[in-house]
Amino acid sequence: MAGLNKWTWLALAMLVAVLLALPQIVTSSFAVDIFIRILLFSFIGVAWNLIGGYAKQLSLGHAAFFGLGAYTSTIMQVDFGISPWIGMVAGGVVAMLASLPIGWLCFRLHGPYFTIATIATAQALMLIFLKFRDLAWGAEGTTIPNLGSSPLMMQFETKASYYYVVLGLLALGLAITWRIERSWMGYYLVAIGENEDAAEAIGVNAARIKRDIFMISSFLTALAGTFYVQYIYFIDPATAFNFSISIEAALVSIVGGIGTLWGPVIGTVLLETTSALLQSWLGSSTGGIQLTVYALILMAVILWRPTGLIGLVTEAWRRRPDSQPARVESP
Amino acid sequence: MVETVIQAVINGLLIGGIYALVSIGVTLIFGVVKIVNFAQGEFVMIGMYITFFLFSYLGIDPLLSLFVSMPVLFTIGVLVQHFLIRRVLGPNDMPQIFLTFALSLLLLNLSLLLFSANYRTVHTFYSDEAFHFGAFYVPVAKLIAFVVAMGLSGVLWAFLHTTDLGKAMRAASQNRDVATLMGINPNRVFAVAFGAALALAGAAGSLLMPFYSAYPFVGQIFVLMAFVAVVLGTLGNVVGALIASLMMGIAESLGIQFVGADSGLIVVFAMLLLTLAFKPSGLGGGRVR
Repeated sequence: MAGLNKWTWLALAMLVAVLLALPQIVTSSFAVDIFIRILLFSFIGVAWNLIGGYAKQLSLGHAAFFGLGAYTSTIMQVDFGISPWIGMVAGGVVAMLASLPIGWLCFRLHGPYFTIATIATAQALMLIFLKFRDLAWGAEGTTIPNLGSSPLMMQFETKASYYYVVLGLLALGLAITWRIERSWMGYYLVAIGENEDAAEAIGVNAARIKRDIFMISSFLTALAGTFYVQYIYFIDPATAFNFSISIEAALVSIVGGIGTLWGPVIGTVLLETTSALLQSWLGSSTGGIQLTVYALILMAVILWRPTGLIGLVTEAWRRRPDSQPARVESP
Repeated sequence: MVETVIQAVINGLLIGGIYALVSIGVTLIFGVVKIVNFAQGEFVMIGMYITFFLFSYLGIDPLLSLFVSMPVLFTIGVLVQHFLIRRVLGPNDMPQIFLTFALSLLLLNLSLLLFSANYRTVHTFYSDEAFHFGAFYVPVAKLIAFVVAMGLSGVLWAFLHTTDLGKAMRAASQNRDVATLMGINPNRVFAVAFGAALALAGAAGSLLMPFYSAYPFVGQIFVLMAFVAVVLGTLGNVVGALIASLMMGIAESLGIQFVGADSGLIVVFAMLLLTLAFKPSGLGGGRVR
């Protein structure tokens, strides 16, 4: 997308048009539900990709921020009647603040042990919400009161409305990533991801950059948390801090293309479509089959295409008509 | 009060022996091959299922099935190293972390598909027996597990310090390039290290079976414990991992006793976070031994 020439704009405009029209054309609620999942996990993947993909700080604890966002907005709504739209932003701020001590601890470790420390902090947060009932309903969780159609409280009658909300979130995530990719921060992030010691040697303040990008990534992940619990009208620690959220955030980025703008989106489309197909073929009573297939896809990508599947897409894109040298057609 | 504390320490020490087998495996692989095996817990689970099926179909005692689970897991380890891990060794973290992570996901969910989420238990004649020392009791199965675990750890330590292959493994863990220049074949050393680590996981599985249930997610507890112990005991340090595992067993047991039945893990996480905050190089002080 570097040049942003007319073909890129055209493709982007077409993509936006198709995405906006999609829930009007395909109205089956099963299909729209899958679209919402794809957009939501794309967005979480995009948020993860900022710290995990560009800076190569491979977190498997993003459920911590997802859960904090979900709990902040739900507590504000259920206990104080404050709209989840405000709660969503508040949740983002809470997650951002939480990322400071979490980052302070976890960034002391490098490589795989950073990953382990992030898993442990997310699990610890889940245990805290399970254990301390006074904080928020304990293990039983709570249902979010259904107010019927009230857009101001982020509750809609049709699934299409939720679709547009999460589409907006994804657009926000992509825009932020696009902006960062082109800023000095983006270059610093890539430098840190390639070789942190070398980056510091040439004057990059790695600790500060990692802290800042972790804050942005946490903020965005928390927005997804609020959206998700509003969509399913239910929250408990096992849902909000589910380890599979951390897994999927990293997985979609790696399968699609780690450290690229569109990688998480491509990865999510592939994984979620596979999962939906498996479910419709085998029924929902197939514990384990979805993650078995995810694991096989992940292994295949790592062994044969560690830069992710986005390479296949960009290769095709480079073969588009205007990028080819003029050829003389033989008559 | 004092009795309760001592009893909790005894219980924690005994389960800590099992944690030690898992964490020594993790630290051995980290020290020699320089990767973190996220799937170590799933190999404990495989060891448990092997033991369970040998008992329920052939009536073989869990302790005898050590002689099956350890060689089987050793072979799996050599194969995993040869066909998977070897292909991602390099300066890049991402493929290494996520390959073993994918392996963990795969094994866990395959066992969920094949064996279902049911809890499987083995009841032996010594499962409910216990020695009584005054006010304290020591369950026989746990004591056997602890003693065998300590014995196996000792055998591994002796292997690393007295045999040529063991010394080659320690050399490779100190400096892979120099070791290669000295004529050590890294692939062979890595395969043995991976195999040995998985054999220890298999042993942990067999030893656990008389007093613990097997289910697909069982490995996750042990691998989490092992990761904390390995950080606490300084990465790559076998003796450090052993001592840290025993400490964690005790801490978990005291947590269960005094904070609440579901609080063992909170104590463990608190230990990890405190270590990271105040002594991130681990209690061993940073030297890899």
